[in-house]
Amino acid sequence: MNKTLAQPPQEAFGTDPWKTRIDRTFARALVLPLILSIGLLILLLGDTLYRSVSVQVVRADEGPGKTYPFGLSASEVLKQELLARGYTEEEVKALLQDPTERRVLFLQNRVELMWNTQDGPFRYVVTGLRDERVEDFSLAEGLRRWNELKAGLGEGERLVLNPWLDQSFLTRTPSRSPLTAGIGVAIWGTVWVLSLALLIAIPVGIGTAILLEEYLREGTLNRILEVNLRNLAGVPSIVYGLLGLAIFVRELGLGPTILAAALTLGLLGIPVIVVTSREALRAVPESLRQAAFALGATRRQVVFRVVVPAALPGMVTGVILSAARLIGEAAPLLLVGAAAYVPFFPSGPMSEYTVIPVQIYLWVSMNIPEFARVAAAGILVMLLALSGLYLLALYLRNRFRREW
Amino acid sequence: MEILKQRPSRNPKEVLTFALLVLLSSVTLFTTLGVILSLIGDVAQFFRRVPLLEFLLAPEWTPLFDEPRYGISPLIAGTFLVTFIALLVAVPLGLALAIYLSEYASGPARARIKGTLELFEGIPTVVFGYFALLFVTPLLQRFIPDLNIFNPLSAGLVMGFAIIPYISNVAADAMESVPRSIREAAYALGARPYEVALRVVFPAAISGIIAAIILATSRAIGETMIVAIAAGQRPALTLDPRETIATMTSYIVQAATGDQPTGSTAFYALFAVGFTLFLLTLLLNILAQYVVERYRERYE
Repeated sequence: MNKTLAQPPQEAFGTDPWKTRIDRTFARALVLPLILSIGLLILLLGDTLYRSVSVQVVRADEGPGKTYPFGLSASEVLKQELLARGYTEEEVKALLQDPTERRVLFLQNRVELMWNTQDGPFRYVVTGLRDERVEDFSLAEGLRRWNELKAGLGEGERLVLNPWLDQSFLTRTPSRSPLTAGIGVAIWGTVWVLSLALLIAIPVGIGTAILLEEYLREGTLNRILEVNLRNLAGVPSIVYGLLGLAIFVRELGLGPTILAAALTLGLLGIPVIVVTSREALRAVPESLRQAAFALGATRRQVVFRVVVPAALPGMVTGVILSAARLIGEAAPLLLVGAAAYVPFFPSGPMSEYTVIPVQIYLWVSMNIPEFARVAAAGILVMLLALSGLYLLALYLRNRFRREW
Repeated sequence: MEILKQRPSRNPKEVLTFALLVLLSSVTLFTTLGVILSLIGDVAQFFRRVPLLEFLLAPEWTPLFDEPRYGISPLIAGTFLVTFIALLVAVPLGLALAIYLSEYASGPARARIKGTLELFEGIPTVVFGYFALLFVTPLLQRFIPDLNIFNPLSAGLVMGFAIIPYISNVAADAMESVPRSIREAAYALGARPYEVALRVVFPAAISGIIAAIILATSRAIGETMIVAIAAGQRPALTLDPRETIATMTSYIVQAATGDQPTGSTAFYALFAVGFTLFLLTLLLNILAQYVVERYRERYE
C-alpha cells in the first residue's frame, strides 16, 4: 500500500512530460537537506580529526631509569627517585611535606609495579611524562616543512607526527601551556557531576512518569504536572544555570562545587527522563494490567511487579540517552562555577571541578591555534564517550525488545 | 477503564506508595517555582536601581563602564539577528526533510533517517560552536573579506543546521497525522505526488508546521554555547551580520564567568537578562501550544 502511494501506476496519469519532470526534480530536491546535514557532520568530524593531529618537535627525557625493591611505600620510592634525579635531601623533604607540591608530584610521577625489570622481578619503577613536546605545527604546515624542520632539530629532539589525543592527554591536568594541557581533571569532574545528577534525576523522573501513567491518568494534578513539565522542557538550559547560581550556589551556600552542579544538571535531566519513561510505560499492553488486577493484585503490586519490570528496558534506554544529553551540557555549568581553572582532581561532592564541555569551551575561547588543537582532542574524547552511550542504548533497545 | 476508577485503597502501603510518587513529582513543580522566584527576587533588586524604561529602550548595554547603561535592545537585536539567520537555514531545509519523511520515504528509510537526525540532536552544542568559529568563519571570510572573526552569520548558519531536527521531526509528525483518505482522494482526481504533498498535505498540516517553527525559534533564542563561542560578546544595536554582536545568552555566559561582585548592579543585570530570556521562550512555547490547539484541523 505504501509503495503504491509512493509510486502510483504510470497509466493512471496523463502523459504530460513536464509534470513528470517536476515530480522527479521535486523528489530529488527533498533529499538535499539530508545530504547537506550529513555533509556538515562529515566536515565537522573531518575538521576535528585534522586538528587533533600535529607535527611536533619532541624532546625525550631519559630519566634515571632506576628500579626499586618491592615493599617500599610510594613515598619512599618517589623520594629515592627525586634523589637520583639530582634533588638535594632538603629539597626532597620540603617537596614531600608540602601538601600541594606532594599532590603535584604524585600526579606527574606514577609508581608502578613491574612484573619484570632489568634488575629482577617484582620491582617498582617511576613513570611520568617522558616525552616533552617542545614545538607544534599544524598538520598541513608541518608536512610541507618537514625537511626544513628536520634539519633544524636540536640535541635529543625528534620530529614526529603526533596525535594530541594520547594516553597522557586523558590523565593530564589543564595547563596554561597547550603543549602540556590535558583533560583528566575534566573527565573525572564529568563522572562525578553526571553520577550525582542521575542519582537525583532518575528517581524523580521515573516516579513522576509512574504517577502520571499509572495513578493519575486524568484530573487536576495530572493537568498541572503536564503543563509544568511541558514548560520546563522548553526552558533554555542557561536559565537552569541561573537557577543553580541563585539557589544552590548562593542561597544554600554550596559555592562552586560538584554538588551544586549535580543539582542543577539533575533538574535539567528530569523532563527528558519523564518523557522517555512514560513512553516505555505506555508501551506495556493494557491486558497485562487487567490480568494482574483480575488475580486480585493491588495497584501498587500491579505497577511495581508487572508494569515496571515490563517497561524497564525502555526506561534504561531513556536514562542512557538522558545521560548522553547531560554530558554535553556546558551552558548551565558555566554559571555554577565550572569555568575556573582547576588543576586538581575532584575529591568529593564539595570539591571544585570542571567538566569536559566547559574545558573545551575554555580552550576554544583562548584564541590560540594550539589550544584549538587541544580542544579538537577534547571534542574527540567527548564524542567517543557519547558514541559509546548511544551504542549501549541501541544494544539494550534491541537486546531486550519484546513482542506483546 | 472501570478498573482504574476503583475505590482508593486504605492499605498503608498503597497510601505510602502514592504519597512517595506525588512527593517525587513535586520536585518538578518546585523547579518551576524556583526558576520564577530566584529570577524575580534578583530582578526586583535590579529594577530598584535601573528604571524599567531605560532597560527597555536605551540603545546601549554597557554595565562595566564608568557610566553604566542598561538598555537591553542591543542584546535583543543580537539574539534576533542570529535567530533569524538560523531560521533562514533551518525552516526550508527542515520542512523539505519533513515532506520527504512523511510522503516519500519508505518505512525502513524513514527510521534510518530519523536515527541520523537523532545523531545531530545528540552532538553537544559546544562542538557546533567550535566548528562555527574555527571552520565556518575562515571559510566565509574568503567570500566576505570584511567579516569579523566573531559574527552572527557563521553562528546563525551552524545553529540553523543544529535545529533542523527540531523542525523536521515535529513537522513530519504533523504531516503523518493527516488521514490517508485525503491523500487517496487527491490521487483519485489525478494529482501528482508533488501536488499531493504541496497542495493537500502541507496545508492540512499547517498548524503543526507553524508550531514546529515556533518551537525551533524558541530553541534558537535559548541557544547559548554556539553564540557564546562564535557570535562574539560585544553588544551592538545593528542588523549587519558581518559585525560582532552579543546575544542575551552570550551576555549571561560572559557576565557569569567574569568577576562581577555579588550584589552589584551588573550582577543583578545577569538575572534581568535571564528573566527576559525565560519570558520570551515561555511565551513562544505557549504560543506554539495555542496554535496547535486553536487551529487543529478536524478530519473524519
